[in-house]
Amino acid sequence: MKFQLTDEQRALQDAVKAYLRDKFGPAEVRDFYNTDSDGVPADLWRAIGEQGWLAVLVPDAHDGLGLGLLDCAIIARAFGSATVPGPWLGTVLVGEALRLAGSESQQKALLPQLAAGEVKGAVALLRGGYRPSPAGAPATAAGGKLTGNLGLVDYASVADVLIVAAQDGLYLVEPGAATITPHESLDRTVRLATVELDGAVAERLEGSSPEVVQELLDRAAVLAASDLAGTARKALTDTVEYDKTRVQFGKPVGSFQAIKHHLADIHLGVTNAEYAATYAAHAFDIEAPDRQLAASIAKAKCGDMASESTGAMIQYHGGIGYTWEHDSHIYFKRAKRLEYSFGDASQHRERIASLMLDAI
Amino acid sequence: MDLRFSTEDEDFRAELVGWLEANLPPEMRERAWWVGKSDAEQFEIRREWEAGKAAAGFAGIQWPTEYGGRGGTPGMKAIYDEQMAKANAPRTVNPLGLAFLGPTVMAIGTEEQKREIIKPLLHTEVIWCQGFSEPGAGSDLAALQMKAEPQGDHYVLNGQKIWTTNAMHGDKIFVLARTSDPGGARHAGISMLLVDMHQEGVEVRPLKQMTGESEFGEVFFTDAVCPVEDVLGGEGNGWQTAMLLLSFERGSSAIGQYTEFRRQWDAVATLARQLDRDGAPASQDPVMRQQLASSLIELECLKYHSWHVLTQTSQGKDLGFEASMTKIMWSEAFRKVSDTYESLVGTAFQVADPSPGTSLEELTTMALWSRSCTIWGGSQQVQRTIVAERVLGLPR
Repeated sequence: MKFQLTDEQRALQDAVKAYLRDKFGPAEVRDFYNTDSDGVPADLWRAIGEQGWLAVLVPDAHDGLGLGLLDCAIIARAFGSATVPGPWLGTVLVGEALRLAGSESQQKALLPQLAAGEVKGAVALLRGGYRPSPAGAPATAAGGKLTGNLGLVDYASVADVLIVAAQDGLYLVEPGAATITPHESLDRTVRLATVELDGAVAERLEGSSPEVVQELLDRAAVLAASDLAGTARKALTDTVEYDKTRVQFGKPVGSFQAIKHHLADIHLGVTNAEYAATYAAHAFDIEAPDRQLAASIAKAKCGDMASESTGAMIQYHGGIGYTWEHDSHIYFKRAKRLEYSFGDASQHRERIASLMLDAI
Repeated sequence: MDLRFSTEDEDFRAELVGWLEANLPPEMRERAWWVGKSDAEQFEIRREWEAGKAAAGFAGIQWPTEYGGRGGTPGMKAIYDEQMAKANAPRTVNPLGLAFLGPTVMAIGTEEQKREIIKPLLHTEVIWCQGFSEPGAGSDLAALQMKAEPQGDHYVLNGQKIWTTNAMHGDKIFVLARTSDPGGARHAGISMLLVDMHQEGVEVRPLKQMTGESEFGEVFFTDAVCPVEDVLGGEGNGWQTAMLLLSFERGSSAIGQYTEFRRQWDAVATLARQLDRDGAPASQDPVMRQQLASSLIELECLKYHSWHVLTQTSQGKDLGFEASMTKIMWSEAFRKVSDTYESLVGTAFQVADPSPGTSLEELTTMALWSRSCTIWGGSQQVQRTIVAERVLGLPR
């Protein structure tokens, strides 16, 4: 019984964390927050490609590392902890869509470039809620053309490839075929744009099926959950450190039981969220029968805890926690974005109920 | 990451499952069979069954063979807890002895104490009670007042213990008492004494719990005696001995609790499919579905935590104050399942048999029992303070 990372996985975790600490720490995130750009820090993005952090799930045959979802989740958690900007998740998920359902030629054309970070990706898989196509598909396909308002899509403005879910599966869309309208987002570690398709030419991924869309969604949910777990832990750690030294009424505020007990509860919840994200990723790697359940448990728990932990970070820093100068809002806003991406906690609890109560 | 047990551990599981199949009659696994039997009758049945289990070699799974244990691995202990819960086997009659006294005696007891205490404990020949809490010393254990005055070759004990599990069935009790005047130092002058309950100076009175059962009671000491050699851990070291004793819950992985509460959740889910709510099964009610899912999430997280604990203990690591996290996690998860059950059955929570063929007796008793689990062994509030100060490092 070993419910722990392997030595190789720990080395990967250390490498990602060390790189971010040295090259893209809180100061760089803050600078990035205050600068207008396309949302992709160029040097960091290049490094992410060079380090192989986009190649983890891409098969060896397509110049990837051929590792598992847990390895990928390790990177996601470190990115959540460091609030890393950039289209990493969308690019990874486009690769997953192609790996799961793409033709040999589609894979050959795109996977090596996605793995190297030379091609950036974005995905539009849901119309709110958490159901695979056809019920939850944001686009409608007819005669090889897609129509639909895809809502807000992460990094659509910089993407070279879009993967869109329609009623009969996944489609590859050239961003040039879409109307893309950028929006300012609260969380500035992302760029959002609304995407509209009006008879856009699209290539169907031939291996598509509702099951494949569900598999892709679940993998996306696990990676989002891992990011949220990272943010939740970082927000808690920073808050605990601050409350050890911030003095009011002549004592460190962390000595007051009202704060202490809540932080203890958050520690328990975040610890559970970390376990849940870890197990869910592993469950996909070993094709465990309960992997869908595990994915929804992870997304629900990590979403709830990131919301609570980053909210507590604001509250337990007092007035300073509400200022732009403080980091609290950076964590809070990122958590709020991913909390509602790929199904929120209520939707995943409903999914758990349907798996556990309706299947029999 | 490898969530499988070793072959050796799995062999043990097969052996245990086989033994349970042959030696745990199906009716004993059903709550209905126990209903109507008196507390004393139930206790004797459980005691006899547990003695048979010990004789078959399924007791003290991780304890050394030289003292009557099985000498097994942490994995085997987890499997034992899991399978016993799965089989709905009778609960141990010696919970305090197994969880606390046994490990403490093996750690710091004299050779004679080890030989005298461990085997009879495992074979249920001696039922042990714990004498810690007093009317004025609950969460604040160091406020205890009980006195044990040294007089030649024995101590004379006077005072009262309360909320003592199995008080009515106990043969012996490990008691924290003041053997000398500490002069203001609350944690000094305390000793842990191993006292015979079958003597004139010890009087036991049952306390009725909110379930209606009397699993605990009060123990009064009036000039009771205890030989000086029956101190555990040395005179005056009682506080340290007690802290060591309480730390032994740390090895517990909570897999047994998970298995038991998960079975309870499954029963609640089944009930939700059967009960009607506005013309449809209650399991279709959106709010009920959220609540059932929420409690399942906490349960599954408890399972992951138990894997974590087992991983650490298998590698010989001490979990330290993480033990408090385990306690909070399992008792809160249990409460959450119970809350879900209560809101599912609504007013029927008040009655044992709301309709023909439906018995809520077992689930209702469990739900009430869950209210005690966030208190005993260190209340949730005490545990949170420990987590905040010892795990997170927040100032006192």
